[in-house]
Amino acid sequence: MIGSLLYYALYPLSRYMESRRLHSVWNGGAITTRSFTQSQNNMLDHWLGPGNGTKGQTEAKMKEPSPEQEDDTWRLMAVLHGTIKNEAGSKMSEGESAVKEKEAETRNGQIQDAVEAPEQGGGEITVHYEVFNTKQNTEDGSLSPTEDPNQDQASGLHLACLLTEDITQETPSPGQEKLNIPSLEKPMPPAEVTECWDEYLDPVAVGKGGESSLELICSLLLSNTQPSKVSRQHGTQAGWHFPAGPGLAEELQCPLWQFPAISYYPPVDSTVPFEVMWRVWEEVDESATAAEPFPFTKASMDFTVMSYNILADDLLQAHQVLYTHCPLEVLDWSYRCSLLLEEIQKWKPDILCLQEVQENHYHEQLYPALSQMGYTCVYKRRTGTKTDGCATCYRSSCFSDISVTTLEFFRPGIEQLDRHNVGIIVLLQPVVMHGSEVKAKGSLLCVANTHLLFNPRRGDVKLAQLAIMLAEIDSVVKSCEAKGEHCNLILSGDFNSVPSMPLYQLITTGELYFQGLPASMISGQEDLSHRAYGHRLFAPLWPSSLGITDRCQYTSVYKEVSKRESQKSGKGQYSHDFMRQLRFCPAACIRPLDLQLIPGVTDITSEASRVNQPDKSFSHTISHRLDLESVYKHVLPGFGNPEVTTLHSEGAATVDYIFYSPRCTSVWDQNAGDFASKGLKLIASLSLLSEEVLWSMKGLPNHIFPSDHLSLLARFQVDLNAA
Amino acid sequence: MNNKFDALKDDDSGDHDQDQGSPKDSEKEKTEDKDEDQNSSRRKMVVPGAGEHPLQYNYTFWYSRRTPGRPASTQSYEQNIKQIGSFASVEQFWRFYSHMIRPGDMTGHSDFHLFKEGIKPMWEDDANKMGGKWIIRLRKGLASRCWENLILAMLGEQFMVGEEICGAVVSVRFQEDIISIWNKTASDQATTARIRDTLRRVLNLPPNTIMEYKTHTDSIKAWEDFHGLVNPSGGR
Repeated sequence: MIGSLLYYALYPLSRYMESRRLHSVWNGGAITTRSFTQSQNNMLDHWLGPGNGTKGQTEAKMKEPSPEQEDDTWRLMAVLHGTIKNEAGSKMSEGESAVKEKEAETRNGQIQDAVEAPEQGGGEITVHYEVFNTKQNTEDGSLSPTEDPNQDQASGLHLACLLTEDITQETPSPGQEKLNIPSLEKPMPPAEVTECWDEYLDPVAVGKGGESSLELICSLLLSNTQPSKVSRQHGTQAGWHFPAGPGLAEELQCPLWQFPAISYYPPVDSTVPFEVMWRVWEEVDESATAAEPFPFTKASMDFTVMSYNILADDLLQAHQVLYTHCPLEVLDWSYRCSLLLEEIQKWKPDILCLQEVQENHYHEQLYPALSQMGYTCVYKRRTGTKTDGCATCYRSSCFSDISVTTLEFFRPGIEQLDRHNVGIIVLLQPVVMHGSEVKAKGSLLCVANTHLLFNPRRGDVKLAQLAIMLAEIDSVVKSCEAKGEHCNLILSGDFNSVPSMPLYQLITTGELYFQGLPASMISGQEDLSHRAYGHRLFAPLWPSSLGITDRCQYTSVYKEVSKRESQKSGKGQYSHDFMRQLRFCPAACIRPLDLQLIPGVTDITSEASRVNQPDKSFSHTISHRLDLESVYKHVLPGFGNPEVTTLHSEGAATVDYIFYSPRCTSVWDQNAGDFASKGLKLIASLSLLSEEVLWSMKGLPNHIFPSDHLSLLARFQVDLNAA
Repeated sequence: MNNKFDALKDDDSGDHDQDQGSPKDSEKEKTEDKDEDQNSSRRKMVVPGAGEHPLQYNYTFWYSRRTPGRPASTQSYEQNIKQIGSFASVEQFWRFYSHMIRPGDMTGHSDFHLFKEGIKPMWEDDANKMGGKWIIRLRKGLASRCWENLILAMLGEQFMVGEEICGAVVSVRFQEDIISIWNKTASDQATTARIRDTLRRVLNLPPNTIMEYKTHTDSIKAWEDFHGLVNPSGGR
């Protein structure tokens, strides 16, 4: 039987996959698998609908006003790259970049087909039955004009694969399917299927089990055989849209893997150079967001935000030791630039926050290319001698800008702000254009982009830089509030700090008790606790002359004063509050040299020590009032391997983030006479990868990813109001 | 009013200005020498540090205390008054202030003076001789807070009377504390009224608080009357 043949043929491959941290492979596999046969799956869902109620569930989960449209949505999910020959697959490879609608047609046809299928099996799923049906469907599909590649693979291999898929697919409830595919074990299949399924999990199982696992592998391979492109139909359960067109699959295109001469890993059987790139859209668990108490439909707009540290060439050259693992050609800027632009072109983020953008590259290459893609760009070079900076770009067709602020963190005379990092904050108005006319508007969106200091020992600097960023965001929010408008937040960039460490905590929990913390611990980038003489943090973290409180807000008087100062020349006018804020500034804690010592009168030991008592206003905590949550949760589904956003020869870590203000419960808005939901609804994020997987691609940068960071990409939804 | 002060003086409390007796002629030269020293050291003008918040004027803290057991009239005012230090910015102000005892914690017969750099806390100073002061008497327990509010308002230029303000004094006495703010031109009623209103505001005084304006010439006269000096030609 074909299955057993395949089993033997592919056995080495399965071993290989095992050797590569099986679980992560399988995670990807699970997703891929699902996505691969999504069309079939959907079809089966519908077909099985009457029997097991899957369809009903699906519909219940539909939140979008037009489910039919949703049905049309096809998603490109993931690519498994391999050299297994599957002529059908490769031949049809172009097919799957097909436009949604056409695919939808195809799929509808399939559904009908499926529905017409004689046996409405319900939970009773037998292998043969499925094979039969899938085959039928596949044939139908192949007749359709836009040939869904999935169906084109009408070989036995396919069928086996489809079989697996279908079982996998139909068993989990749609809710469970989302994001929740951490491991293959997770889905709870109906009783009939369970047995098989368990066996599928055992890659080296024999007999039926062996076949099953083989089939699973087949499915992986099949998706591989489609050169890098797998379309995924994201049916109704998902309720989110992906751009039509080339999309992700192309992005993930991995040219036949060419192992350079030097490899960290012993070359795998060269006949099976099997490489996997799973940067796939992962939906947010619907169960979490489904709790929304008002399931009314409201016009909404989806947009995507990408944060990307693109590795400035000058920095690469300056730190070549970090990239010794890379073949020289992938370090070449023009090569990296073309990969970068390709990547942006593929994902088409609506908002793009770049870091480490070298000034000349920005002006010569990136800006021209990006503006041609329809982006409006803001660039801010770092102060000092470094040649790179940050760039924030947004699609002018989706956003109009309200204000743009560029921030320099370098403040002469302030020890904690002696480094030349910068940030950009733009306030955008999401708009839906119809022709040249604005049809609808969303809540204002404040997009902050920064690249904090790298130096792991200078946590004090990072915190002060972050405080400036937060204070500026806060003032933007305030200015919106003053106009009676709500403002959603995106804070993204390279924070040079790892998850759950103090700086991260400050952002996500809104508070940090810092007194006595070693400055080197703030970011958690490296464990420097062995350093005996580490600098520790003590209040105040920055001099009050910075004009930022320990709540990461501008002192209102500070603004008031500076305003007044600018208005009239009458300098030196200060309010009590303002002056009191300076009371415990570092200068006030030092005994003046020229202070006459009068016992009992001027020998008071610095009042600061008195004030340090907890009952005083001098806080050992810094906080902020912005509600920020990370898009990424920093562990990969399944075995919980850490995600990494950057990797080079000295380590891998998550240091890049997209934080956003999450949607809170809808509230009745008197003004709008409507339920206004504040905050952003996170729809999906582009999965990150584990360190192992990245090393299996020979680290970063490589032939796919042009930087030593990965791009972060998130899809949000914001409600619209008619203009 | 003067009588009242005089009466208070006897029980070791009262208007410090009247206690700050004129030095005897024999002491005068000595103290003038000392003044020279102080002046020369003061000439090194303080400047705001980098990034600090400059004040419109530089100020100098002074401290005076009457040595217990000696009658007020036998002590030189200038003998007893000490310069604590000068500052030019908000930050520098706090440096001094945070190392100084709070008026409410002081014991005995003591005064803090905070005057613009170059102006001595004496009636006779050129800046003061045409001037006067607003006086507020406080029951015990209020001095620290009121003093701080007063000087912050002065340093922060909240009185909005141009260059009229000369300085402020807090006097700790036996049964009460007295704060006062001095200005240049006693005859300028608009200015003095404005100072009074600002005082009420920044000290958050109840409306019935008695505020008393006293010209320095009156103060001098009262002092002389008290000490039985007929001829005030000494300028004291």
